[in-house]
Amino acid sequence: MDAIWIILTGTLVALCCGLLGSFLVLRQMAMVGDAISHAVLPGIVIAFLLAESRDSLPMLIGAAAVGVLVTVLIEWLHRVGRMQADASIGISYTTLFAIGIILISYFTRQVDLDQDCVLYGEIAYVPLDTWILSNGTSLGPRAVWILGGALLLILTFIGMGYKGLQLTTFDASYAATLGISTVFWHYALMSTVSLATVVSFESVGAILVVAFLIVPPATAYLLTDRLPVMLGLSALFGFLSAVLGYGLAVATNGSVAGAMAVAAGFWFILALGIHFIKKRLHAFPARRKLPESYI
Amino acid sequence: MNSLLEFLSLSDPNVRMVVWGTTLLGASAGLVGVFTLLRKRALLGDAVAHSILPGVCLAFLVGHSKAPYVLLLGALVAGWLSLLSIDFLVRRTKLKADSVIGLVLSVFFGLGIWLLTSIQQSGVASQSGLDKFLFGKAASITSQDVSMFGWVVLAVVVILLLFYKGFKVLAFDEDYARAIGMPVRLLEFLLSTITVLSIAVGIQAVGVVLMASLLIAPAAAARFWTDRLSVMLLLAVGMGILAAWAGAFISFTAPSMPTGPWIVLALAALTVFSMLWAPRRGVLGRWLRQWRYARKIALENVKCIEDLVPTGRLDLKRRICRHRRKIRLFK
Amino acid sequence: MCTKIFLSSGLFALLVVGCQAPAAEESTSRLRIVCTTGMIADAVANVVGPDVMVTALMGPGVDPHLYKASQGDLQQLSQADLIFYNGLHLEGKMVEILEKIGSTKSVIAVSDGISRDRILKLTHLGDTNDPHIWFDVSIWADVVAYIGANLEKLDTLHAADYAQRTAAYRDSLHQLHEWVRQELSTVPPAQRVLITAHDAFSYFGKAYEVEVRGLQGISTVSEYGLKDVSDLVEFISGRKINAVFVETSVPAKPLEAVVEGCAQRGHEVVIGGTLYSDAMGQAGTPEGDYLGMVRANVRTIVNALKGIDHANVSH
Repeated sequence: MDAIWIILTGTLVALCCGLLGSFLVLRQMAMVGDAISHAVLPGIVIAFLLAESRDSLPMLIGAAAVGVLVTVLIEWLHRVGRMQADASIGISYTTLFAIGIILISYFTRQVDLDQDCVLYGEIAYVPLDTWILSNGTSLGPRAVWILGGALLLILTFIGMGYKGLQLTTFDASYAATLGISTVFWHYALMSTVSLATVVSFESVGAILVVAFLIVPPATAYLLTDRLPVMLGLSALFGFLSAVLGYGLAVATNGSVAGAMAVAAGFWFILALGIHFIKKRLHAFPARRKLPESYI
Repeated sequence: MNSLLEFLSLSDPNVRMVVWGTTLLGASAGLVGVFTLLRKRALLGDAVAHSILPGVCLAFLVGHSKAPYVLLLGALVAGWLSLLSIDFLVRRTKLKADSVIGLVLSVFFGLGIWLLTSIQQSGVASQSGLDKFLFGKAASITSQDVSMFGWVVLAVVVILLLFYKGFKVLAFDEDYARAIGMPVRLLEFLLSTITVLSIAVGIQAVGVVLMASLLIAPAAAARFWTDRLSVMLLLAVGMGILAAWAGAFISFTAPSMPTGPWIVLALAALTVFSMLWAPRRGVLGRWLRQWRYARKIALENVKCIEDLVPTGRLDLKRRICRHRRKIRLFK
Repeated sequence: MCTKIFLSSGLFALLVVGCQAPAAEESTSRLRIVCTTGMIADAVANVVGPDVMVTALMGPGVDPHLYKASQGDLQQLSQADLIFYNGLHLEGKMVEILEKIGSTKSVIAVSDGISRDRILKLTHLGDTNDPHIWFDVSIWADVVAYIGANLEKLDTLHAADYAQRTAAYRDSLHQLHEWVRQELSTVPPAQRVLITAHDAFSYFGKAYEVEVRGLQGISTVSEYGLKDVSDLVEFISGRKINAVFVETSVPAKPLEAVVEGCAQRGHEVVIGGTLYSDAMGQAGTPEGDYLGMVRANVRTIVNALKGIDHANVSH
């Protein structure tokens, strides 16, 4: 039963991240997940200073607030300041993280307070952290409910905003002529991403989320150019990574999240092989055909 | 004021080591950072910082030691492999640099965590603190670090001078470089090597965040001021050093003021300043130009209309005059 | 077609995994006890004796910061009859999970066995206490008593056995406490200063009248600045202190900078040796259990502060 819960949790993370990550990869914002994982530090510190407690809820609220703030900052540097996208990501997260360290060193240096010990969950312990009603009935792991909820929200968001997201991702100027606001869809996507990642951090830790935001969508993108196919494939690769990763973790008695990230890398290498073979198969007939068409 | 004089006199040995160390580091990171930025790989610092974990774990497993040299060697090898795979994937697939960096980072880091858990079960007590051992903090730079940075700066400068032309073409137009028959892969290889060298050596002395920031911010700030590579390189080095001195000074004024993070904030301030005030590419300059242009157009429009008005219509002329005054005053 | 193969291989993996899970190790022991840190596991093992299996999630050298859960840890926790953990937020977010497990089986925070006034508060903010309770041997003796009392309650069949062992082990702890006090009293009070890279030794300092100074706070992400390093260098040169100490789990770098700063100011201070702070030494060696770890730490400190043994600088 534990195995199924863990794989289910991994799959839910993979679906959430795979769907959102596909848009991020296409918009060249893939590193946003990693940036958020660093940038939430000041949010945690401020939440602790205000709430005077290291419980999950205040930490989560603080982290989510800064998670949204960092995406706004990135966009401001990128759009208003015309800074290169990757540089604006890098400057935003290092600055916020540095502010977090300064706050900790100045106010709370004697308190053990960082993402690892107050925010990040651990996927291996998901089956133990059950949701228990007041009458004592257990409804299964809390993480499954939270991530399931997040997935529903993401599906609704993508379902309702598919057109806007697709147009602003692929052809921003065409979208603008249709009267679709690039800025609105950007912020809508980015705030969904930051909320989803922060909530997932709390359930399963950062490594898994960052990896699943990038690796399965990148794998899918190697194999297709069509958005719906890419969304489907990245969900599939996410699921496969969760399964294979869990198997690896069991076989080696290692970290579940680490093994799932490695598994995602394995599927990527496999897809890379397919991609190269396909390229070669396409290249040869084309070369042979070329003279005929010229004659 | 006193603390400023004391700081600038460099009489405190630790101040001396930190200031010279961060100066040299700012120089090498500034130089390397310009190329990583222009090649859309600004986040390489972060990627290397994560990718070295499996190298550190393997070095510990093989060398049975946490000695800095053993771990640094493992880190260099893993960081270098990660950069080579990034180069390979960007070159051979349609994936963009940012996705590739994120992909390599998360897979390498996942592998590192996985290895870490298996080391945990080995029962080898000397593993204690393994994941933190390679990350230094800027306030504790030693003279050994300073001399190591010196060598790195020397290596970076020599290689840049030797291959400057090639790197320049590579940074602005890789396809063109390939088309005119430049040894793109060799150049890429050299660039990656000096990049990973400066990042890994920097990380073990000052930690991840400062290193990532030193790599990105000076280059990004310098980009606002110029379009010329040589000027950009010099500006980036200058800004890195300026921020290093400013941050080190702030952390010298009061206790519990961490050196590295203050340098990061100084870098951020410099970047935002450049973003706003740089004459050609800066935000304020751009707004000013747009405003002047809009005003010019408006005044020209008024002039056109004025020319169309028949000579007798003084009432219309008066209205046009009023309108022009309004534009001059408010627009 | 492709999808089908993928799915079926996934299902296959699920099956394999599902079959493997229950086939884990069968133990013949009466109780299965899981502890978070090595120190607690050592205390519990001394109370229950060799017949009962005691496992530590964080083995030799694994401190709470390094610790990353592996797949087997889940099984350890879910199959355990009894779980001991440190508490006072040493285990971070894992405490929430331990408390959840606590609703179905006995999960005990050993720090609950210490009277509140002996626990050091770190800040005025909320519930923030210093979790490094094992550095005061007399407090650790209270912890052992608490562990013993709980075991007697839970396993009444062997209560007498536990009580006897607890008493014996507490005696040796009390002896150790006296020994530590005596050893440290041989260091002149002006020299009795323990300087380490991070602030883990407050309990030690309070119990044995040692002035404690750390460069970095308890939080591993907190960072010291140039002023802190410079002040510490001035303090050491001013007081003519002989040695500073490295911890096994913290890089030696910050202290190397301090040592170098002192040397350039004309005061020679050495790295007096490596202390076990958050994790014990290799199993099977003298430092592999609590008594040995404390003895090793105290010997290192006393020798280095008196300037006796400068050879012991390897780490």
